[in-house]
Amino acid sequence: MGTVTEKQLKTLRALLDCVIPPDDFPGASEAGVADYVMRQLESDLADKHDFYCSGLDAIENETNARFQTSFANLTPEQQISTLKLIELGDVSTSWPVSPKEFFTLLVNTTAEGYYSNPEQGGNRDAISWVMTGFDTSRNHEPI
Amino acid sequence: MNQFDAIIIGSGAAGGIVAGVLAEAGKHVLLLERGRALSFADVGRDDLRNQRLSLYGHNAGPELLGNPRVFVDPHGHSQIVRPHEPDYHNNAACVGGGTRVYGAQAWRFCPDDFRMASKYGVPKGSSLSDWPISYETLEPFYERAEWELGVAGDGSFIQHQVPRNRNYPLPAVPPSPQTVALKAGAKELGWVTGPVPLLINTKPYGGREACIACKYCVGFACPTDAKNGAHNTMIPRAVATGNCELVTGAIVERIEVDERGNVNGVSYFADSVGQPLRQSARCNVVIVSGGAIESARLLLNSQSSHHPHGLGNEQDQVGRNLQGHLYPRAYGLASAQVFNGVGPGVTIATTQFNHDNSGIIGGGMLADDFIKPPIDFWYDSLPPDLPRWGLQNKRFMRDNYTRVMHVRGPVQDIPNPEGRVTIDSTVRDRWGIPVARLSGTTHPATVDSAEFMRERGVEWLRASGCEQVWSSRPDLVLSGKQHQAGTCRMGNDPKTSVTDEWGRVHNHENLFVVDGSLHVTNGGFNPVLTIMALAFRSAEHIARTLS
Repeated sequence: MGTVTEKQLKTLRALLDCVIPPDDFPGASEAGVADYVMRQLESDLADKHDFYCSGLDAIENETNARFQTSFANLTPEQQISTLKLIELGDVSTSWPVSPKEFFTLLVNTTAEGYYSNPEQGGNRDAISWVMTGFDTSRNHEPI
Repeated sequence: MNQFDAIIIGSGAAGGIVAGVLAEAGKHVLLLERGRALSFADVGRDDLRNQRLSLYGHNAGPELLGNPRVFVDPHGHSQIVRPHEPDYHNNAACVGGGTRVYGAQAWRFCPDDFRMASKYGVPKGSSLSDWPISYETLEPFYERAEWELGVAGDGSFIQHQVPRNRNYPLPAVPPSPQTVALKAGAKELGWVTGPVPLLINTKPYGGREACIACKYCVGFACPTDAKNGAHNTMIPRAVATGNCELVTGAIVERIEVDERGNVNGVSYFADSVGQPLRQSARCNVVIVSGGAIESARLLLNSQSSHHPHGLGNEQDQVGRNLQGHLYPRAYGLASAQVFNGVGPGVTIATTQFNHDNSGIIGGGMLADDFIKPPIDFWYDSLPPDLPRWGLQNKRFMRDNYTRVMHVRGPVQDIPNPEGRVTIDSTVRDRWGIPVARLSGTTHPATVDSAEFMRERGVEWLRASGCEQVWSSRPDLVLSGKQHQAGTCRMGNDPKTSVTDEWGRVHNHENLFVVDGSLHVTNGGFNPVLTIMALAFRSAEHIARTLS
């Protein structure tokens, strides 16, 4: 078990908004998905904590090598093009973890936080349930 | 020493019914359940940890730690699996078993489901067999299950396939926009459709409230107790007689035999903090109702000098023919919203393809699906060519969650004796009991049937107005999971079966298996009503033998 550094958290928030970007509805970061991810890294995904954090650091390395700046400072277009390469495993720096595996875990945990019940830590104000139409404001609360 | 008329191991669909029937017949019953009695709040509404989507755990047992199994993949690699992992083939372990959190589809099998070998012949490598009983024999017990527990439906649309003497006690669930679209599509194809029978109170019944049409049904507990399972029907009736002692947290280690090899009790571990506490109880009859995997495991683990390979296993039949259902599914994008937030969501089915299809053995039922929480939908239902991330993915969720139609259904499993439960030689659970080892696959003919049914699903959605339709081809895998069955099949020949038609284990006067393990074949339907009907039939027989 460990913690996530401020720097890693900043990278994570930027990544979350690439996976589920803001539009008329909040992106994953605003919806609280970072809270969900951090909670998971200390519980169900404790055995993946180091893997996850290494992936976040590797994203920063990769971005620094390509653009000489932090991932969060890239333009959205640069962020997306970088992630599309990482998704394919096409990286230019040395990664301590599999880029593809990290990216899959990132995408899955982001969706879990954004679309699952708000008590998990993400999906603040059940915003994704309003967005999808699942929450028809009818009896979704347990009686 | 505790002495009982009967000890029942497992309080699920079958065990709960046997307990109710025996207790009401005045028999002194011990009902042992490894899990706990779960309240609505205990089960909860965790989207990520439930019996439908078990990413990090589930909500109805067994505990993730201390209850491993071993799974052997088709390449022969074995690994230890935990209860929420797909290869564990879990069914809920709690009072009520799977019925505590099931979707409660209440289908009868067709008459032809009881005579598969006669109808189709036996494909090479399969152990396909007829049942020792016919549909007509079981029909009164189907009716009894429907009325004692409460089923909502309308059987008229399949009366020609599944003749019944009495309709359901409750009216079918109302149609949704998806029902209307699928009904029109089926009509265009010339297919007959009708409502899905459900063990759900569409009106108050049996002293319990009506369904409030919430969005959390399959995988969860019911907020108004309108979903009828063992836990809220036959088990309370059993306990109310004063004749049934229900013990939860009881892990049965073995069935005991006397010096002549006759069954006379069980030893089990009681729920306790710290060191497990071994208990034993004596009885005239033991009824094993732990589900197809755990029932087989217990018989195999009950070795003695008289029974070195376990009970009922002289012919190496216990644990073989593990079945469940492959579940072909198809999705389509409707031109208008089909989701109206009214649960449970499953409304319409066709049984057009359960039998008499060219080139395949058997077939299956197709129906729409229960409402899926958005994260379940995200994992399960998106088109394969849709990017998994980015604005396009989010837009699809935003625009189409309420427009995706979904049909799916269980396909008749063609049994393979190599798809089986054995006992692992090294891995033990937290009580030191050897765990179940699952290996093999279903028969390849099952995959052919699943592919045929997938194509019918695609056809149905296209005819129902979906321009974009997607689905994936079925794989040759082990089937089991929540529809697990077949591991102690009933039959007339002790060489190829484990029990007689009553569930009595061959060569044992007082040892019964009563659960899905008995199913010779598992039908092209959800199996629970058949498990219940068999339980009523066997329980009446056991009550007679105890008199």
